[in-house]
Amino acid sequence: MPRPVLTIVRRALTALGLAGLVAAALRIRGTGGVPPQSGGWRELTKADIES
Amino acid sequence: MKAAVVGCGAVGARVARQLLALSTVDQVVLTDSAVERAETVARALGDSATVVAGDAHEVPLVDVLVLATPAHAQLQWARNAVRRGVSVVSLTDAIEDVQLLLGLSDEARAAGVSIVVGAGFCPGLSCVLARFAAERFDFVDEIHVAKFGTGGPACARQHHRALSGAALDWREQAWVRRRGGSGRELLWFPEPVAARDCYRAALADALLLVPSFSDATRITSRMSATRRDRMTARFPMLRPPHPEGRSGAVRVELRGRREGMQEVSVVGVSERTAVGAAAVAATAAAWTIAGRLLPGAAGLAAMVDPRAFLADLMDRGIRIFSFDGRPRREV
Repeated sequence: MPRPVLTIVRRALTALGLAGLVAAALRIRGTGGVPPQSGGWRELTKADIES
Repeated sequence: MKAAVVGCGAVGARVARQLLALSTVDQVVLTDSAVERAETVARALGDSATVVAGDAHEVPLVDVLVLATPAHAQLQWARNAVRRGVSVVSLTDAIEDVQLLLGLSDEARAAGVSIVVGAGFCPGLSCVLARFAAERFDFVDEIHVAKFGTGGPACARQHHRALSGAALDWREQAWVRRRGGSGRELLWFPEPVAARDCYRAALADALLLVPSFSDATRITSRMSATRRDRMTARFPMLRPPHPEGRSGAVRVELRGRREGMQEVSVVGVSERTAVGAAAVAATAAAWTIAGRLLPGAAGLAAMVDPRAFLADLMDRGIRIFSFDGRPRREV
């Protein structure tokens, strides 16, 4: 196989490997943010409606 | 008192049942283009329900006429009812029907009767929720209505047509037509419906809300749909609609100002669409019979006291929700 092609393949494999490592690190360490801790749908009572 | 229901589908049959549950209604006259269907409903309701043929749009002598027919079949009924001095409650959600029925306002006022236009789930309940939520604002800038689900087969067909029609939005004091199926927005409805993609469609909510909120800069309506619904909206329905409809929800978001602060208020209802629509129509009919509505043609937003109307709906088992937890922002 010609040398430039081998270089491209090697670089692509290296990039894929690095991306995999970063993804794995994020998957393990990343928290994805904090979901809302308050709020949401609240059923109204008749007192809520009439007041 | 006597009431008549035209159209005995998933919604009409429920309206008739709810009317007979009222202490003020002792007889319900049923009419349907398919007489057998009206007779089946009458048998289920007992001796208080009778059937008359409705081919000639002949309005029986009753105190209120509820129109639960498919779209584009209500104008003649309403016109005949007004001439006969009978008040009308219409469940239509088609833009053309709403425009035509609102056009009977002068005639209705002269006859001393009321025509409640779009007294269903959405429009209908959506209009009452908007009026209710607006009471906490000093000024309402925007109203955005969204609905999920359909009632019976006729409602599902209208829903299908609406997605391929032109949406009618109120924007900067003018009507703007936008393509149906555009403007995707992910909206949260009360549980169990939760998050749904909603799109513009030919819905009548803005038409009925503008008379009560003419200073608002934007009034829009959207309905929930899937990508397949959008793809197939311009073709005939691929499969027959569900005979009874399934779960539904309506959500009304208001943006406005209160005490110098920008605020957002979101209220909603989650209920089977046919059940919710029937409850709204029956309550509107009860208010009509009780003489609580002024003569003329208008939507519920312009006709009822929203708090009292919602309290009556709660007595019928409709649960109303408010979305809390948004921070206030200074303007």
